[in-house]
Amino acid sequence: MKPSLIHKGLRKFFGERDSGMEKMKIMLVDDEERFLLTTGKLLARKGFDILTASRGEQCLEMLADNLVHVVILDVKMPGMSGLETLQEIKRDHPLIEVIMLTGHATVESAVEGLRSGAIDYLMKPVSVDDLMAKAEAAFARRQIIEDKIRSARTRKSMDQPTDDALNEAVKKE
Amino acid sequence: MDLTYSRMRKTILSSMILVPLIPFVLVIVVGYFYSKISIETRTIESLQRIVEDHRQMIDTFLRERRANMEFIISTESFETLSRPRQLEFVFDNLQRTSSAFVDLGVFDQDGLHVAYHGPHQLTGKIYRDEPWFAEVMQKGVHISDVFLGFRAYPHFIIAVARKENDRTWVLRATIDTYIFDNMVKRVRIGKTGEGFLINAGGYFQTEPRSGGKLLEPDANSDLYLKRHEGIETFISNGGGFGRLLSDLFFPGDESVFLYATTWLKEKPWLLVVRQEKHDAFGKLRSAMYLIGLIAVLGGTAIILLALDQTRRIIRRLQKIDAEKTGLENQLIRATRLAELGQMAAGFAHEINNPLQVIRSEQALMDYIIKELKEKKEITNEESLAELEDSIRQIVVQIERCANITQAILKFGRKSEPVLENVFLHEFLPEIIAMVSNKARVQGIAVNQVIAESLPPVFADKGQLQQVLLNLFNNAIDAIAERRGSRGGVLEIKAGADEGHQVKISVTDNGIGISPENIKKIFSPFFTTKPLGKGTGLGLSVCYGIIDSLGGNMEVTSQKNEGTTFFVRLPVAGQSGS
Repeated sequence: MKPSLIHKGLRKFFGERDSGMEKMKIMLVDDEERFLLTTGKLLARKGFDILTASRGEQCLEMLADNLVHVVILDVKMPGMSGLETLQEIKRDHPLIEVIMLTGHATVESAVEGLRSGAIDYLMKPVSVDDLMAKAEAAFARRQIIEDKIRSARTRKSMDQPTDDALNEAVKKE
Repeated sequence: MDLTYSRMRKTILSSMILVPLIPFVLVIVVGYFYSKISIETRTIESLQRIVEDHRQMIDTFLRERRANMEFIISTESFETLSRPRQLEFVFDNLQRTSSAFVDLGVFDQDGLHVAYHGPHQLTGKIYRDEPWFAEVMQKGVHISDVFLGFRAYPHFIIAVARKENDRTWVLRATIDTYIFDNMVKRVRIGKTGEGFLINAGGYFQTEPRSGGKLLEPDANSDLYLKRHEGIETFISNGGGFGRLLSDLFFPGDESVFLYATTWLKEKPWLLVVRQEKHDAFGKLRSAMYLIGLIAVLGGTAIILLALDQTRRIIRRLQKIDAEKTGLENQLIRATRLAELGQMAAGFAHEINNPLQVIRSEQALMDYIIKELKEKKEITNEESLAELEDSIRQIVVQIERCANITQAILKFGRKSEPVLENVFLHEFLPEIIAMVSNKARVQGIAVNQVIAESLPPVFADKGQLQQVLLNLFNNAIDAIAERRGSRGGVLEIKAGADEGHQVKISVTDNGIGISPENIKKIFSPFFTTKPLGKGTGLGLSVCYGIIDSLGGNMEVTSQKNEGTTFFVRLPVAGQSGS
């Protein structure tokens, strides 16, 4: 695990910490450009913070620079596949919740996704409302985890105010 | 296919007939040939033996009689024998030796009958010019042919001459032929065998049994009347032994005889022993008939057996071929379904992506319209309603497409089923219970006959449920289509089947399936339901599931009678599942 990335993530984390109820930031990853465009537009209109990426590599690049809570990730993409991307995300950004989106209802790929850390999977074609409901649920779960981490960090920082505590918490997660 | 079988039939039949028939025929032919030779040889040998024995007997008889005469003439003198008392005494002694002697006479060298003892009064007669007298005077001995003479019974004479004191005198005896007549007549072989004597001129010296008078010429004499040493054997009519075969087929030709002849040594008489050929070779003929009978019966048996065996073999082959074809068809169908499944899955996947785009577009449109409505920027209520209806319709149609692609993906998916032991006598009633309400509403009686002691099958419960519900629902639909809501019967049976399998049958008395539809029943996208009511994937999915479990599905149906679906699954713990 690269400490620099953790630090970057944590900075964003703590930067947002005090703003009370956080606004959910979603990233949509799919090779279908029009889907990204339309869905992005719609979700933006509905008031969500949304980022889109058409490839796994692009997604990872953008995650390095942007705060994202939930990634909705297509399983089948040219280049880096959804599963590979998922593993990269989970390695570099363990706190990001990933929902797999698949055109193929193969239980194998879904199970594989869940095993690699995805929180849920959705079957195409999915309605935008369903998509958002799943995303909200994932975000809520993330919030709970964040709270746990925060309290743990607070306790630990009393004794040993270093970043190690956070590292511990992250590892536990 | 039929042509192959008929050619195969010919090959099998011909080899099955020829292989046993050739040795069979060989055995018969060889057997016949050797038995023929053996019987012929034996018959001819026996004939030769008879002829030889009888010749010896007759020769011995003649020799003894001649010896008697020679003994007398050498021991007695002309003077003593010329005395009637002495002649009588000698004759009596002679008769004691052989009763064949009839009389005895003494002649001087001029042929005068000096003394005679016998039944006639011949004394004083002169025989000088008789040929026999001349011969005996010349050769010293004479044995005459048989003649009747004045005595009117067959006899012959033996005359011997002796030179005594420059005088030659002759002793003559008449000998009744009955003794060697009997000898010759005793020759009896089979029904037609006989013996007789002829002299060098071809005149009968004894009466043949088959007719012909004593001393009359033998009509056939030229056949055998030639000089030869020992015994000659032949067949009359010049046929030789080659004619034998034809004689066997046309028996009863009585003019064909098997002859054995030999010349006597004492006298140029020919002893002839003959037997009608069909009589002589009668045993051969019966052997031939027996062989023929065996050949016909054996040949018939071989041919019938070959026909029967060939029929069985061909029938078995046809059965195996049919089974093989069935198996191949099943394999092809399974392969085709698997390919179709993969293709359909890829297709569905590709469709899902644009569907997703459409859905997003629709959601965006919906949202924009809602916004516009709220901002009162659309005022035409009617158009707005139509627009909203249209958008709702897009949702409905996307949903429909999604259902199809989901079904296709389910059909084509290669997911790992969760296999476990499923006890059908517990599991089946649970599934039946799921449709019992629906069946009751439709007026359908549900009968279940499930064997209690059924071994478990190894299957995924969810998949099995899917298959069974599909079958039950199809059955209920078929019944409803034919009977409305009365008189329906749905029967579900489960029992052990051969080959470590469990057989589930689902029988309905519904509308039935036509023969042309039954061929396509498991094909994906085949449906008889109205457009939009069925994807036509149900049964093909069922088929795929059962196939993946190592089982198979079959259907039999009679239009307007009902349908039975069979599901066979391997018993848990058996290989091949």
